[in-house]
Amino acid sequence: MSSPRLHVLPWNQPLVHAVVARLADGWSGAGPLDLSDTLVVVPTAQAGRRLREALAGHAANYQQAVFPPRVVMPDGLTTLGAAAGGTASRMELLLAWTETLRRADLEMLREVFPVDPPEVNFAWATRLAREFMRLQTTLSENGLRMADVTERAGENFPEAERWRQLGELEAACEAALAGHGLRDPQLVKIECARNPVPPAGVARIFVAGTPDPLPLALQMLAAHAAAGVPVEVLVSGPAGRDEEAALFDEWGRPVAAAWAGKAFSPEDFERRVRLCADPATQADVIVSCARGYTPPGGRLGVGVADPEVLPPLENGLARAGVPAFNPEGRPRRDGALHTLLSALAGLVVRDPPFAAVAALMHCPDVLAWLGGSPAKLLEALDDLHARNLPPALSVARAQAHDPALAKALDAIALLRGTLLKGTFADAVRAALTEIFKERRFDQSRVEDVHAIEAAQAWGEVLTELDAAVQRFPELAAADVWELALRALGDSQRFDEKPDGAVELQGWLELLWDDVPHLIVAGMNDGRVPEAVVGDAFLPEGLRERLGLKTNAARFARDAYLLHALAAVRSEGRGRIDLLVGKTSAAGDPLRPSRLLLQCADAGLPARVAYLFSAAEAARPNPAWRRAWKLTPRTDAEIKSLSVTSFRDYLKCPFRFYLKRGLRMEAVDPQKAELDAMDFGTLCHAALEAMGRPDSPVRDCTDAAVLRGFLLEELEGAARATFGNSLVLPLVVQLESARQRLAKAAEVQAQLRADGWVIDRTEWPFEINVGGLPVRGKIDRIDRNELTGEVRVIDYKTSDKPVNPEDAHVRSPKRAEDVETLPEFARFKADDGDQMIWVDLQLPLYLEAVAAEFGHAVACGYFNLPKAAGETGVSVWNGYNADVQAAAMRCAEGVAAAVRARRFWPPAELPPENDDFAQLFLHGAEASVDWPVEGNA
Amino acid sequence: MKKLGHKMILASAGSGKTYALTNRFVQLLACGAPPERIVALTFTRKAAGEFFDEILNKLARAAGDAGEARRIGADIGEPQLGTADFLRMLRAMVDTMHRLSLGTLDGFFARVVRAFPLELGLGGDFEILQEHGSRLERQRVLRQLFARAGGELDDAQKEFVEAFKRATFGAEEKRLAARLDRFIDEHQNLYLDAPEAAAWGNPARIWPDGSAWLEKSGDLKGAAEVIRRWAAGESEKQRKRWDDFLAAFEAWAPGAMLPKALEYILAKAFEAWTALGEEDVELVIERKKQTLPPDIGAAVKALVRAVFAGELMRRLEMTQGIHTVLSGYEAVYHDLVRRAGKLTFADVQRLLMPESGAPKLAVGGGTEDGRLFVDWRLDAKFDHWLLDEFQDTSHGQWSVLRNLIDEAVQDPEGRRSLFYVGDVKQAIYAWRGGDPRLFREIFDHYNEVAPGMIEEGRLDKSWRSGPAIVEVVNKVFGDTAVLARLVPPVAAERWTREWRDHESAKPQLGGHVVWLHGDDDEARAASTLRLLMEIEPLERGLSAAVLVQSNDAATWLADYLRREGGLPAVAASDLHVCTDNPLTTALLALLQAAAHPGDRFAWEQVRMTPLAGVIAQWGDAGESMLTRDVLQQVHAEGFARTVETWLRRLEPMIAADDVFSRERARQLTEAAVAFDVTGSREVAEFLQFAERHVVRDAETAAVVRVMTIHKSKGLGFDVVVLPDLEGSSLSTRRRDGLAVQRAADRSVGWVLDMPPKLFHENDTVLAGNVAEAEADAAYEKLCLFYVALTRAKRAMYLITKPVGEKSVSMNFPRLLTETLGTAGGGATTMIGAWACERAFAEGDPKWFEAIKPMDESEDAVGNLIGIEVLAVGSGSVRHPARTPSGTKAGLVSGISLFGAGGSGAANFGTALHQAFAVVEWGGATAEVFAAWKAEGFGDPVIAEAHACLESPGLAEVFKSEKAAEVWRERMFEIVLDGQWITGVFDRVVLERNEAGQVIRATVYDFKTDRVGTEDIAQVLARYSGQMAIYRQAVARLTGLAEVRVRCALVLTALRRVVEVEPLGAD
Ligand code: SF4
Repeated sequence: MSSPRLHVLPWNQPLVHAVVARLADGWSGAGPLDLSDTLVVVPTAQAGRRLREALAGHAANYQQAVFPPRVVMPDGLTTLGAAAGGTASRMELLLAWTETLRRADLEMLREVFPVDPPEVNFAWATRLAREFMRLQTTLSENGLRMADVTERAGENFPEAERWRQLGELEAACEAALAGHGLRDPQLVKIECARNPVPPAGVARIFVAGTPDPLPLALQMLAAHAAAGVPVEVLVSGPAGRDEEAALFDEWGRPVAAAWAGKAFSPEDFERRVRLCADPATQADVIVSCARGYTPPGGRLGVGVADPEVLPPLENGLARAGVPAFNPEGRPRRDGALHTLLSALAGLVVRDPPFAAVAALMHCPDVLAWLGGSPAKLLEALDDLHARNLPPALSVARAQAHDPALAKALDAIALLRGTLLKGTFADAVRAALTEIFKERRFDQSRVEDVHAIEAAQAWGEVLTELDAAVQRFPELAAADVWELALRALGDSQRFDEKPDGAVELQGWLELLWDDVPHLIVAGMNDGRVPEAVVGDAFLPEGLRERLGLKTNAARFARDAYLLHALAAVRSEGRGRIDLLVGKTSAAGDPLRPSRLLLQCADAGLPARVAYLFSAAEAARPNPAWRRAWKLTPRTDAEIKSLSVTSFRDYLKCPFRFYLKRGLRMEAVDPQKAELDAMDFGTLCHAALEAMGRPDSPVRDCTDAAVLRGFLLEELEGAARATFGNSLVLPLVVQLESARQRLAKAAEVQAQLRADGWVIDRTEWPFEINVGGLPVRGKIDRIDRNELTGEVRVIDYKTSDKPVNPEDAHVRSPKRAEDVETLPEFARFKADDGDQMIWVDLQLPLYLEAVAAEFGHAVACGYFNLPKAAGETGVSVWNGYNADVQAAAMRCAEGVAAAVRARRFWPPAELPPENDDFAQLFLHGAEASVDWPVEGNA
Repeated sequence: MKKLGHKMILASAGSGKTYALTNRFVQLLACGAPPERIVALTFTRKAAGEFFDEILNKLARAAGDAGEARRIGADIGEPQLGTADFLRMLRAMVDTMHRLSLGTLDGFFARVVRAFPLELGLGGDFEILQEHGSRLERQRVLRQLFARAGGELDDAQKEFVEAFKRATFGAEEKRLAARLDRFIDEHQNLYLDAPEAAAWGNPARIWPDGSAWLEKSGDLKGAAEVIRRWAAGESEKQRKRWDDFLAAFEAWAPGAMLPKALEYILAKAFEAWTALGEEDVELVIERKKQTLPPDIGAAVKALVRAVFAGELMRRLEMTQGIHTVLSGYEAVYHDLVRRAGKLTFADVQRLLMPESGAPKLAVGGGTEDGRLFVDWRLDAKFDHWLLDEFQDTSHGQWSVLRNLIDEAVQDPEGRRSLFYVGDVKQAIYAWRGGDPRLFREIFDHYNEVAPGMIEEGRLDKSWRSGPAIVEVVNKVFGDTAVLARLVPPVAAERWTREWRDHESAKPQLGGHVVWLHGDDDEARAASTLRLLMEIEPLERGLSAAVLVQSNDAATWLADYLRREGGLPAVAASDLHVCTDNPLTTALLALLQAAAHPGDRFAWEQVRMTPLAGVIAQWGDAGESMLTRDVLQQVHAEGFARTVETWLRRLEPMIAADDVFSRERARQLTEAAVAFDVTGSREVAEFLQFAERHVVRDAETAAVVRVMTIHKSKGLGFDVVVLPDLEGSSLSTRRRDGLAVQRAADRSVGWVLDMPPKLFHENDTVLAGNVAEAEADAAYEKLCLFYVALTRAKRAMYLITKPVGEKSVSMNFPRLLTETLGTAGGGATTMIGAWACERAFAEGDPKWFEAIKPMDESEDAVGNLIGIEVLAVGSGSVRHPARTPSGTKAGLVSGISLFGAGGSGAANFGTALHQAFAVVEWGGATAEVFAAWKAEGFGDPVIAEAHACLESPGLAEVFKSEKAAEVWRERMFEIVLDGQWITGVFDRVVLERNEAGQVIRATVYDFKTDRVGTEDIAQVLARYSGQMAIYRQAVARLTGLAEVRVRCALVLTALRRVVEVEPLGAD
């Protein structure tokens, strides 16, 4: 019976080269380097990759090639040689746990569930199932099951009963699996390790550069060794026999006592270890260094111990044009297929909500499938939304008048039908086939290759899910979707490594990298070494008792790694730089790695003072500056004016141009209810109907009848626009409109009783002002049958009642220099006060009606405000010919200015009062490059 | 270990609170407390970080220097300690760093909840929702709430609409979504504190003994008639008053603003309420006395009572409605968000609060029922408690900790301890739950049981401010008489009880306090600017701040200082980095235009920017391509990469020296990275996120910081200007909230939308509540003012409107007037070259002249730490990696990819490959079948494999030749043309000569695609690259010339072997 043999490879040489030399020991270079009978255990997939590459490179030196060894990670070792059949997939295990938990009698498990969960449902059960699976995986590191914990934890174990009950749950889960002829994969692993069969065709085994293999794997290796398969353990370490023995155990694991206290004291510590303010600063430091290597591949390596550094680093490198590669890949959750599938999942409800439809239609693949112009289609969709606020697909379809949009919605409805037919997998396949039926993926294009791989990954998810769902059929459709999406989202997508790329790797990968210059970012406590503090199931105390990986073991491992990384690059062989973050991206304080504080007592105060000093932000805090001025088109034509546009011009000529010339109008895709304008339009519709010549209630003085009429008209108008099914806010808004109209009915009844007859409603007109046609529509014109008076009325549905005079003219503000206003905008009131025009709506109405009704016409607002008591007509008192003349002078002035294209300078408005605030930063005039007269 | 008692410290502003805390920590260590058993909690993570750094630095100083050791030892009452002792403590701290409980309350609570999810009724682990996350969730919840299934409102929705109507009673709202959002902002926390309906608008709770106002009124019509008849006989003016009153009464409905006509009589009636109806009552109506006989008085009373009742009923109903609305929202939120394991810090805290049913926390590893023993799960016993900023601790937070601290304080052996510190004079966080009363209550509570149990300490010496400042602070806040006049007595008493005169620890520090007058904002801003121009603090290396009361004021003032004076002023409020500059706003517009092509605003905005040029490069179709281009990238790679792509395209258009815009560009990317994590690819959501995304400017010395007083807490500046001290009365309670009555244990007794003053002042219960709220408000305002006046180290400039002789407003300027006096008024003070008229001055106006301007060349911008590049030449070889199948070309159809055949076929193909690998030579022998079964191949695979083995077309593949050797599924690694290739041969047959040398090799590659004969040419084309690599590899591995290596595709579907000629052979 033999035991493993430990070889300490000198750590002043890159580990991977030393391992290759060892593996190729005795190979002459004649014929291929045939290692097919060799099994090599390495810590990570990336390490395996490095090893194979180095072997290929080694053979290439002899113009040869390699039959590579079998390369496995410790975890994979435990399943080598196990029969694949009958082992539950991850999905099956998850469902078995889920089923077990949903059926569990929690009363009998009060140590695990002291209180009932909020609801025993799928979501709760899967969440917990994942937790328990994680727990099982951790325990199986050392060959344990939940049921073993109580016994292994020994005396005075406060949670013995809890774990016994967990063991019961575990047994129930195993039974559930067994019912389907399946076995728990962790159990299979543990049993494999208990009865190890040396893998076929393996003549020798190496454990290479694996500082913390699973105890379970070691158990297995020990058995193989005992069975006569030579097992060699390769670890890099300091030369010198005496030390070796003390530093590593027989499996090459760093001995905690030996490494924990080992001082890390390179001579130029303060140049090797840098304090950086935040992740972005760490990234900046690396980027600026990487630019010095052209290309950095093979010369500079980057370790990223803190994942927060990764995004700014990747972005920074990309911006600097430095190729980079992250071997860890990216989760498919971030990819297009996942987004598309999530959107499809949104369709699988009764009458999918509009938001789900919109989300789906924004998927590029769906847009391509729907055909036509994506921009036009989306525009029509937003239009429909803004106009009709449809709550759901069916209503949207009914209201869609744009033919392309209608067709698209039909297609989506059909697609939804497809999604509901047959088994989940079949239905989704059918739907995706439909969407992609015209597509050809080009295998020579990177994006398409990603798409192909995602599709394949999805295929695997479906296959696994199909098998699992057949065994555990109690799942609702939404649950299946959730499982499938999660499985796809969790899968990784790997990019191709660009030539010459600098590799961005995790801390545990660095030992196998042979680049001469290594920068490690994120050397912060909790990252390196990783520390687990507090756990709902496996606190540190219990981990210790169970022989699981402890914080102390992690510390020793990472101390060893740090020393090894530094040693191989010492004495002129290279360089290592360690970056320590002072705060996280969110500004939370970080602490330096404890590894960096390992030093002789004498040096500790200075070390602490250095590592805990303040890090000045390296980022500039530059003064605000304008990247550019806006250069709007200057050629938009304005050939006519609406009555309401005068107000805009008087407020600000430039914004008037943006609004009326460039027609800048925003779309709010999140609009959930009517805006003020919609609300007014809705009320107007009813009021207009009331005053039409054919209206049955024109002369009605009975408030109740009027109310009935108005409400019915409102109902009709609402139904015409929004259909029968209203989104909730609309229900409330309609109610508000009803209240206002009900009160308006009372007022109207009184008006009629007072002799006011509605003469016109919605009376359109066009007049010429200063050479420009001005168009408008008067809400109503009333004539008093008793007095003969005529007045022009405009309905107002703002929350507060509006006084017409206040709405049209104002006094100068304190300290306002009136002279800067154009002459036409000002006039002297009867009492000699200086007045300024704000709006010209009613005067223009009066001008328009003069031809027919003469000049003695009054004007005012019919207010329908929030407070019912304030409903009523508010007449512009004191209106006279002088005012009218001043108003028309102003109108002509505006028209002339528009014709002369005088849109400059803009007014400086406070942002909250400015629809264009997002354009104007630090002053409207300063924001825009506008050709001043003469240059234009 | 040595015993250390419990201690409460009331520390005034600048008196070295942090110093006291770190000392306590060190003292505990010195007494032998293991660092991991000390819990030190504060409010912000920044403070926690600084606290930790400070402890380590203090220990390091003492460990490295005997003098320091002596000094610090003396400070903590352990003068015997030497450097070695401190070194030991330092080492202990360093070694246990990962186990320390030194952080924020929120973090501590989250840690506990994480350790006990099932015990606290959670479904498992959870994630913490940050601000933007919770906004997003709220929107999803609202969307869900608004959506409706099948056209009809369900019951819950109907109830919701009804409740909403009640909640907005009379003042119906036309914007539900907007109003709801406000409701949630304003009342959600209150709802969660008091979720049960019984507390909301419940008259039985508010008036347990009943309210006279709610009694049924009698015959109102009759009463009105009585009044009308009586008033008819009164004078013209008075009659009109009464008629107006009656008309208004008739027209009035609860909910409308109280018309003047009603209010007038109501006020009069309340003046003589008790006598009214009992006897003849004289009221002054229209400036003339009028006598109301008892019958008229009774009638008036009836009407007034009816109005009062109407108003109260409406308020009650609104309150109930608000409750129902919130509970409707909360129900959906709970289902959708909390149950999915997404909790805010507030949720986390609530989970632990005994009031919400959580078990008590305990240590000791016992098994006592109903307690959560934190020591086992958290791997830590908590012996010592250090609580910072205790005045900001909420009652909820305290209730979570109470049991743990109880255990510590009552430890029979006194091995454990409590230490809490704070300043009740700086309690400005009541609005978010801070409860400064706890400070004294806890002290009293323990000391009542055992007097002297907690020792009280005071720190009143300011290490921050010079004598001039301290002098003024003492004058303003120490004048008991004035305070008693200006604020409600309860508040004044609370303030005075804890007040001690301050003292400056830096008597030599020269400085100045001036109070100037300025009539309006503009004038005060101008004075601020002038002061800063004269003093030139930045040039002298002094820090300067302008403190104001609102963020808007800060933004405005900073802008003013920059615009009018060119000062480097920064509104130290949050910077909206994504929307405050043309570059990033243009990019946001671009995203909007792409996702919502009908948005003409976004489009025109894009066209006004250099983006137009980028798009124009795509040609005429540029704009129409944008939608596809942008959406595709967003969906495939997320917003961060999309933004990056466009930033790269814009880069040439940004001026070379425009550091600012590039910084903003980087910040936009940073925001996008944060957003991408949410998984959302919705442009609208991203835009909303970007608009809300804020960043604080990095703190650099060389700016004038303009900030709110709230944000200035904890900071000190050499020069402070306070130009925004105007405002409402000191005792103005917050108006946006609902009135809440809490019991002594802080549980919510009742909630009410408080009626206006005319009503509440005439109801004892309501009046009591309002008085309390006003006193609290006054106290908090005093705190705010105290914070404002204690920020300055050397000089402070107050600028207010002059308080008129007759002014009755009880605000900050008034307090200044009454305490500082107006004696110095009108005199002139020279500040630099500015002769300004002052109201008050203290100290040396020329204080700054002695401080010489710094050298210009000293650059404040930090330098990037450079890392040297290694000499060229060193490096290891990296070969670009390829796989033979990676050389595949050609098109794959969507149908084959996603269709039923797609993944199934791939699996089938893989299985078939494996099935063939089982076969060494010859046909389907019994062993082969057995092996297939054992591998678990399905019947279709076995059938197909079997058929292939039997088919004559494929016979050559499996036929055995003499001296032949076969590689099956064999992996190889090779470097070819500088590329590293990893591949697997499906099947290679080697023939050897007598000498054992390989003389011929055939590579068979299985292709299981369903191809027809007509596709063969295409298949050959597709795989020619791959086969060329196999040929080379085999040649290398066997030593054969390439021409001797034969390659063949085995098309299983066609049962055909197709020869592949060497490249270039034809
Ligand atoms: S809030 Fe939700 S998740 Fe949290 S305990 Fe209550 S039911 Fe469970």
